Amino acid sequence: MVNIMLNGRPKIHVIHMQHFSFKFTTSSSQKHAKKMLFQLIRHFHKGPVCRAAESSLLAKLRKKTGYTIANCKKALEMHNNDSEQAEAWLNEQAQAMGWAKATKLAGRTALQGLVAVKFDKGHGALVELNCETDFVAKNDKFHKMIEDATIACYKFAHTHLTAKGPITKMELDSEQLGNLPAEGGKKLSETLALFIGSVGENAVLRRAECWKANSSDIKISAYTHPAPTVSSDYSAGKYGALLAYKQPNDVEDIGKQLCQHIVGMAPKKIGNKEIDKPAKDADDEQALIFQEYLLDPSYTVEEILEEHKVQIIDYVRFSCGEVIEANMPGVEKQPLDTVQTLQ
Amino acid sequence: MATISFAKSLVNPAVKLLLKQSHCSHIRTTTLPGLTPLSIILRRNYAEKQVFERTKPHCNVGTIGHVDHGKTTLTAAITKVLSDLNLAQSKGYADIDNAPEEKARGITINVAHVEYQTDARHYGHTDCPGHADYIKNMITGTAQMDGAILVVAATDGVMPQTREHLILAKQIGIQHVVVFINKVDAADQEMVELVEMEIRELMTEMGYDGDKIPVVKGSALCALEGKSKEIGADAITELLKEVDSFIPTPVRELDKPFLLPVESVHSIPGRGTVVTGRLHRGVLKKGTECEIIGHGKVMKTTVTGVEMFHKTLDEAQAGDQLGALVRAVKREQIKRGMVMAKPGTVKAHDSIEAAVYILSKEEGGRQKPFTSFIQLQMFSMTWDCATQVQIPDKEMVMPGEDTTLRLRLLKPMVCEAGQRFTLRLGDLTLGTGVITKINNNLSEEERLKLLEGKKAREKAAAKK
Repeated sequence: MVNIMLNGRPKIHVIHMQHFSFKFTTSSSQKHAKKMLFQLIRHFHKGPVCRAAESSLLAKLRKKTGYTIANCKKALEMHNNDSEQAEAWLNEQAQAMGWAKATKLAGRTALQGLVAVKFDKGHGALVELNCETDFVAKNDKFHKMIEDATIACYKFAHTHLTAKGPITKMELDSEQLGNLPAEGGKKLSETLALFIGSVGENAVLRRAECWKANSSDIKISAYTHPAPTVSSDYSAGKYGALLAYKQPNDVEDIGKQLCQHIVGMAPKKIGNKEIDKPAKDADDEQALIFQEYLLDPSYTVEEILEEHKVQIIDYVRFSCGEVIEANMPGVEKQPLDTVQTLQ
Repeated sequence: MATISFAKSLVNPAVKLLLKQSHCSHIRTTTLPGLTPLSIILRRNYAEKQVFERTKPHCNVGTIGHVDHGKTTLTAAITKVLSDLNLAQSKGYADIDNAPEEKARGITINVAHVEYQTDARHYGHTDCPGHADYIKNMITGTAQMDGAILVVAATDGVMPQTREHLILAKQIGIQHVVVFINKVDAADQEMVELVEMEIRELMTEMGYDGDKIPVVKGSALCALEGKSKEIGADAITELLKEVDSFIPTPVRELDKPFLLPVESVHSIPGRGTVVTGRLHRGVLKKGTECEIIGHGKVMKTTVTGVEMFHKTLDEAQAGDQLGALVRAVKREQIKRGMVMAKPGTVKAHDSIEAAVYILSKEEGGRQKPFTSFIQLQMFSMTWDCATQVQIPDKEMVMPGEDTTLRLRLLKPMVCEAGQRFTLRLGDLTLGTGVITKINNNLSEEERLKLLEGKKAREKAAAKK
């Protein structure tokens, strides 16, 4: 295909020819052909023919890859309007562009987002991923991103945690999180950069907790709010909690309900019957065992624990955006991180 | 005696007026020659605040779009372009972006609010940072939007989250969206065309009339810096023209059928029963047929007189505090909380759905979340009623969240979509909301169930 660039735009007859050759190649898919034809007709009405062919090429590339229009345009220009080469180049460049975008946006406040959990009887992962606006937090790409991160942590809990005490807990900051391997052999930080490149907003893998129970009588449960309508081992919401507890198998399992209580009532500590005293005003109670049970305020949590023979080992609660950005170790390091990886 | 009369003369407002007039007239008459001395005094008292002049219909618009696509720049550009025509006060980028968190009605609203006017209308312009903020605004009624301007940069095109932006617009009931393709200076013609195509496609997919939506292309930055007029100032002017014509002026409260929530009822010997209250909307004239509804009752009657400040009135308008004389109804039959309205325009309901914002502890709410079946007191207009709450899509509601709630009232009260209310528990305001949907009234059996305790509900669930 010969191409003579004129003011950065190819000459008319070349494009014309190219359009038809293009149409020919996609004629296997009737839908595509139909659409191209439609666009051609539409643009006959709207303007010069050259634009029709060009923008349909750009439109097609954009629709297929989802990269920004400016980048698609650049790719086409670099590869003499060869859409296949342009697409390959875009995919190749996406990672670098993601990093560039991530570096550029790294300083911006990101306190929206989601908290996600994934757990089974003996393992649990709790992850917070932040972004700038809650619009992005509702997007499917964001959900995919946090799910990937949570699965990575969940796997990490299976493979890397070795026995120490009744449960092994590992706290991860954003840097450590970024180094975890994600699906497809990439690092989480790389997938995150791709994500940032795509939505154009800063995003931070804020923190994570990976838990592993080291004996069979310890159970792990988790909950996020808002909870999904069908309960599953993975969920994401604005708040999340992990709980490790002991409970004999013959009693009704109330792990999930206790997690819900922790998410809702945000206790500061478990509390000890012998040392701690209940607060004067029940609404100000900070110790878990003295709080009114969320699902039935006529009981305290302690009474519920006794009734169901539960012993709470530990818990952790995340509320999305609760961490003050300036105090987070990972945030300032983020740009440096990206520089390193670009080398 | 002389001292007393002197003191009296001091208190007498007319004398006071004279004193003030003589005091300040020599300062102001030079600057404002056209004003009478009386208005000078009034102006003097309100020197710090300008008087809002209502000469044009008002309309609320807002900008939506990706963080980097130039919403704030556009807002600044609009004020800049209009300030050149003396229709707005020019606002810098920083003035808009750093809008202080306002504590309005005890609820923290994070929103930038700007005003300007075109030749046709006066505008309130909002820009909220997030979905939850918009929803909160919609529910609390702090900043409502009659239409929106969707800002998309020509360089990036439609972003993955643009869909979420439009979902929000739908959710808060915006039917009229004008699109502004920004940063045209950094893109070429075909990119702009492609962006326009993409937007129209997405809008159609989201249930808007994608082909008819006005799309204006320009550069807010150029307008702000006063460069390349065609894509700068001219584009902004065109955008405002589209906003003027495409987003309809909201129906004023005055033009709706009248509604008067009853505040109190008096019996005046020799005249009859007088209902007092503030006319919520519409116009009330002597001789109008009306219905009085609420507390499970419906009465038909006629307004035989309208009074305000002990003077009779031909016609009361929305916002007037008035007394209405009604024919052949005894005082005991009417209670506070009932509603007097044009026959057939309102009904009493006891099962509704609402969008509610639950106040956080800092905003005066409760620290604890709540679950379904909590019983709250609902306050709306002049009535209040106990109501049972059901949360359809969550297991609990945390403070600071917005949510959908199903409310079941112990007795039918006047409810209609769009009506605002407050939910209280004891001495705490738990949340504030707006009715979104009216469900069928409860059956007798369902109403009895409202009074059942937790144990009875569990028992019934176990039986099933």
